[in-house]
Amino acid sequence: MSKKIICPRCESEHTDILTQSPVPGVWEVYHCEECFFAWRSTEPDFITDPAKYNTEFKLTREQLDQSGIMPAVPPLKKR
Amino acid sequence: MAYQDLRTYLEALDAEGQLIHITEAVLPEPDISAAACAITKFGDKTPALLFENIKGYTNARIAMNVHGSWCNHALMLGMPKDTPLREQFFEFVRRYQTYPGKVEERDSAPWEEVVIEDDINLFDILPLFRLNHGDAGFYIDKAAIVSRDITDWDNPATQNVGMYRLQVKGKNRIGIQPASAHDIALHLKKAEELGEDLPIAICIGNDPLINTVAAMPILYNQSEYAMAGALAQEAYPVITAKHTGLQVPWGSEIVLEGKILSRVREGEGPFGEFTGHYSGARRMPVIEITKVSHRRNPLYEHLYLGQPWTEVDYFIGINTSAPLHVQLKEAFPEVQAVNAMYTHGLVVIVSTKVRYGGFAKGVGMRVLTTPHGLGYAKVVIVVDETIDPFNLPQVMWALSTKFNPQYDLVTIPGLSILPLDPASDPAGMSPKLIIDATTPQAPEKHGHYSQELRDPVSTEAWVEKLRELMPKA
Repeated sequence: MSKKIICPRCESEHTDILTQSPVPGVWEVYHCEECFFAWRSTEPDFITDPAKYNTEFKLTREQLDQSGIMPAVPPLKKR
Repeated sequence: MAYQDLRTYLEALDAEGQLIHITEAVLPEPDISAAACAITKFGDKTPALLFENIKGYTNARIAMNVHGSWCNHALMLGMPKDTPLREQFFEFVRRYQTYPGKVEERDSAPWEEVVIEDDINLFDILPLFRLNHGDAGFYIDKAAIVSRDITDWDNPATQNVGMYRLQVKGKNRIGIQPASAHDIALHLKKAEELGEDLPIAICIGNDPLINTVAAMPILYNQSEYAMAGALAQEAYPVITAKHTGLQVPWGSEIVLEGKILSRVREGEGPFGEFTGHYSGARRMPVIEITKVSHRRNPLYEHLYLGQPWTEVDYFIGINTSAPLHVQLKEAFPEVQAVNAMYTHGLVVIVSTKVRYGGFAKGVGMRVLTTPHGLGYAKVVIVVDETIDPFNLPQVMWALSTKFNPQYDLVTIPGLSILPLDPASDPAGMSPKLIIDATTPQAPEKHGHYSQELRDPVSTEAWVEKLRELMPKA
């Protein structure tokens, strides 16, 4: 891959191509291993471009790691 | 006769002029959600949309707005498409009360035609797309999701069919939101206490009734399939999925089987929700899909949700109102009708006879303590039996004139609410409000209500006479 894909949402470089269109060459879907964001190459630039991504929806891995857990993981029991 | 799969229902919608085929090539984003939003601008009689040419896919089809109007809702129930909402409500309630309906177990299903167990890539099978701009990714938001209590596996009463949002995060990896108040959260808790995965089946592209039931607040030990049979007034067909042993709809287009990974939580969201707001992001469970089965050229169905009213509001309108109506009437036979169509019942309007002063407030309290009301009902408006709760101008008249803020407002602090309510603080907690907009009865005696306007004596006869004289369409 020639150019590193930056996650538009958390701006991490830990991204990858998730899949490609069944009809070759129409689009690619990328995903971010840090914030679990996914996007398609053919979406508007305010989705795909980190500089234009809505700042209200920017989200970092640190923020996710501090977010609530739903539902809570219960204590282990014996059957 | 009820529709046993999505295909026959779409054919019926087509025959009734309630389906638009979109044959031009569309991009997954933003075309599909933009069109699904646009159709909601045309009022409450809108057709479903079937996208037949999606760029990048060879023969994918996406159905939107399938439940998006009262016409479509009436046709789902086998009623004429112009049936008034109030009539649809009472027919729904009548059928609901015939629970349990029959369930028919079949040996084979059309969705077994194509099976994929190796190298699963959900993006090749499902034409996934982003619904709202702020969504974290590509969601499945209209699947009937089946699970059971693994500690009581042979007890069919524990089986649940529910609808929970699913974020497709990888080729066979999905995030799920099993909100704590919902039945699947009980199943997950029991599996996770033992450190075991929870088997799950995700059924997509279903007959319209099972989706309606999956999104309906019925009781934990009630069977969604027996409820679908009651609403259909005929046996509801199911089949046991071999991979997981879970019972699933016979008529589904696509069945994904897999497991919720025990004790795993991972970032999920935000997703634009039925509240008309995004959900925020939280750490939630993860599903691994291990088997995919589908009909040839499967139909993919998706629910549109935006700022109300959109498809989701029709989808969770009557099916939220009916159970509340029945549960409320068990305590108070005086109740006439319940309208819980606003944001899944965050606002509930109840019409009731009032036996004595303070009675209406008691009815309002009972709404708050029904199983669904406990997590949803935030504002309860109680009106007289003469007011149709589905007729908002009548409700507004009651609020305008019968309601006195000094006597008729009850605020209860510290109750539970769904965390998705953006007003809740902290998320999941809220005060609740009862507004008594009924005419005061003794011994309550504030205001001057003895001279209410009534229709002139022969009005009803004139309604019929004028109906005949109206220009015919």
